[in-house]
Amino acid sequence: MSTTTVASLGAATIEKKRPYVAVFAILAIVTLLELNVGIFRLASNVQVGTLVIMATAKAALVVAYYMHMRYEPRWLALIPLAGIALVAVLVVALVGIGGPTVTPHP
Amino acid sequence: MDEHKAEGHPAAAAHHGSIWPFIIGIGGCVGYAGLVMDLRILGLGIVLFVSGTLGWLRDDLRSPSRMDFGTHVARPSEVRVSARKLAVWMFLATEIMFFSAIIGVSWSLRVRTGNWATPGQGPLNVPLTGLNTFILICSSLTMVEALAAIERGNQKQLKVFITATFLLGVTFLSIQGFEYVKLFFEEGLRFTAAPDGINPLFGSTFYIQTGVHGSHVFGGVLAMGYATLKSFRGGFTKENHEAVELIGLYWHFVDVVWIFLFTIVYLI
Repeated sequence: MSTTTVASLGAATIEKKRPYVAVFAILAIVTLLELNVGIFRLASNVQVGTLVIMATAKAALVVAYYMHMRYEPRWLALIPLAGIALVAVLVVALVGIGGPTVTPHP
Repeated sequence: MDEHKAEGHPAAAAHHGSIWPFIIGIGGCVGYAGLVMDLRILGLGIVLFVSGTLGWLRDDLRSPSRMDFGTHVARPSEVRVSARKLAVWMFLATEIMFFSAIIGVSWSLRVRTGNWATPGQGPLNVPLTGLNTFILICSSLTMVEALAAIERGNQKQLKVFITATFLLGVTFLSIQGFEYVKLFFEEGLRFTAAPDGINPLFGSTFYIQTGVHGSHVFGGVLAMGYATLKSFRGGFTKENHEAVELIGLYWHFVDVVWIFLFTIVYLI
């Protein structure tokens, strides 16, 4: 075979069993934990931090396994990471440098 | 294009020569011009855009997906990503910035104004939205299983899983529509007004964040409907199915956005 198609490569890769159902189970369990995080009676800041970490872990699982980033060439991750880098600038601009507190509308 | 002809892929060359993407581009250009000039011009742009999209889809439905277009030349393994997939990832990078801007501004308004709705104390139905989150996660599983099925050449499983994904997407939108109706008409959460001393800005940011996400889900459902139709017509094969993977990338991205939105809007 003188040429190689992405299809044949994909088929060869998929021969290895991918843990789609296991990832789904983790996502479902973490979602259940998120919904019931109140029962742990964590301090407000700790609870917010825990929820953000759980959401980030869930997103990472989806990107790595369902979006196949784990099986792609590593340089491909630079593309979404470039977007996230700009997001970091936005976060600093909006929250990090502070700003005036505005009185809510009546 | 010549290299494909030389390799015996005239269909790929013909597909690449479609006029419809050009029509779509003209439609977008005219439509945006109409936004600032005249609503009739905007209408013309929309007609061109929709006509181009339908024409392109009709052409595609008549022929197998050319998933291997542009990727027939053997390349080193570390760079082996199709042009289409690369383009989708670049599009998703812009979407990351788009959603981050909306979420970032909403969060900034929240921390600087106060009186925001909190879980259990506001008008939001967190258990119902938790169910909707679970539905979206289920749809991600069925989507990736649909891709795995056609990668094995299993047409029957492809149809089952892609139809399930489509129906789960419709269910998500239906529940979100139900939630909107309840919030807007019964709870009094409007764009510029909110119940029980909650900051009125909460309504604006809530509808913008969830509405923009919902519109993305709607776009994904349309794409999924097309993929479902094409799968039932035998349009995807073990060798030609990149469209399933690309639609799946978009669908999973919408799921990722919701994972963060659910936490930020409903749980914190």
